[in-house]
Amino acid sequence: MILKKLVILAAVFFVAFVIGYGIDAALRTDLDPVQPIKFSHKIHAGTNEIPCQFCHIYAERSRVSGVPNVQRCMGCHKIIKTESPEIKKLTAYWDKREPIPWTKVHNLPDYVYFPHKRHIRAGRKCADCHGDIASMDRVRRVSSLQMGWCLQCHKKYDVKNGQACWTCHI
Amino acid sequence: MSGVIDKIKERLKDFRRPGYYKEFDHHYAIVIDVDRCNGCEACVVSCYAENNLPVVGEQGCEDNRVFNWLRIERYIEGEYPDVKVKFIPVMCQQCDAAPCEIGCPVYATYHNQDGLNVQVYNRCVGTFTCATYCPYDVRRFNWFSYKWDKPLDEQLNPDVTVREMGVMEKCTFCIQRIRGVNDKAKDGKRKVKDGEIQTACAQSCPTGAITFGDLMDPESKVSKLAASKRGYKLFENLETKPSVIYLKRVMD
Repeated sequence: MILKKLVILAAVFFVAFVIGYGIDAALRTDLDPVQPIKFSHKIHAGTNEIPCQFCHIYAERSRVSGVPNVQRCMGCHKIIKTESPEIKKLTAYWDKREPIPWTKVHNLPDYVYFPHKRHIRAGRKCADCHGDIASMDRVRRVSSLQMGWCLQCHKKYDVKNGQACWTCHI
Repeated sequence: MSGVIDKIKERLKDFRRPGYYKEFDHHYAIVIDVDRCNGCEACVVSCYAENNLPVVGEQGCEDNRVFNWLRIERYIEGEYPDVKVKFIPVMCQQCDAAPCEIGCPVYATYHNQDGLNVQVYNRCVGTFTCATYCPYDVRRFNWFSYKWDKPLDEQLNPDVTVREMGVMEKCTFCIQRIRGVNDKAKDGKRKVKDGEIQTACAQSCPTGAITFGDLMDPESKVSKLAASKRGYKLFENLETKPSVIYLKRVMD
């Protein structure tokens, strides 16, 4: 009888472990997805020290920071390093008049209201959430982007109404 | 019936101390002049467009799954030559002493600092308790995850969540617009002017029957209208203290 109970208990634990492992793996797989063009933040933001908001122009004045359009890339790359194979890929998109199908790294669910503007204007740095992007060749998500992680900061800086549900979930 | 009401009042006293809503930053309210309403339902249409409400079709309406956060109720009195018609737009009344908040087992509905009764979609588990407790019948339930056909999904409002299956929802007093105006005011380091915030229904009303504003500001248009002698609230005897104030229709 005890043996039977133990077996059932073991089975339950095994199933729980498999489900938990699956959920964990699903959350962690796409930390650094492969992008259509090998764009290196290390070269742009690290070596050449281009400020973040030179390309992500909407961060200070909008809810989204904005993926730069192809024209912004071509603004420099019409002249700079045109012979590189990766830049040739970029030129192909430019000639086809198509946007580059980047894979989103920092993806928030639809029910989260996250304005970049408010955070930038409150004096937070991009690196506070996105990590040291300037040292990454391929962008890797360093923060969990879970609610508990958001609230750490909201508690630390004592944000006004920062812990009310509807501040972020509308 | 009165016994039930007394019981609910007792539970309310346990749940919230009286007058707690007076400590909030704002107390947003809507004044609806029933005398001006002609029942054109422009507000209903604009509400559908603003808040990503799905259109459920004929069968959906038959099954009582219609998604109108704001509905127009018709009251027709009298026989043919002497007909008197009254239209009353009914949306979520954002009660200060909301019965739905007592019911929710997971606290998915609560009062926020704007003095609004709010619904947290990702916390809701869909027990339907709030809809049962609501005396105004304004809460709507997502029976399915609704999809929009191809060109129509382009018109979805990006500031509003597209709700998923199994979630209760209701009128939010266009919180995304309130947020937007407050955001702009904060950037300009000024206070929000009266009349700057407009809900979708107030904006689209052709006769100007709906006015939106802050009751905390005694100089606002809403406060002045609310003090009118014609003012009344729906089901005042239930003491839910609604934030929507109706101005009575004057009939001779």
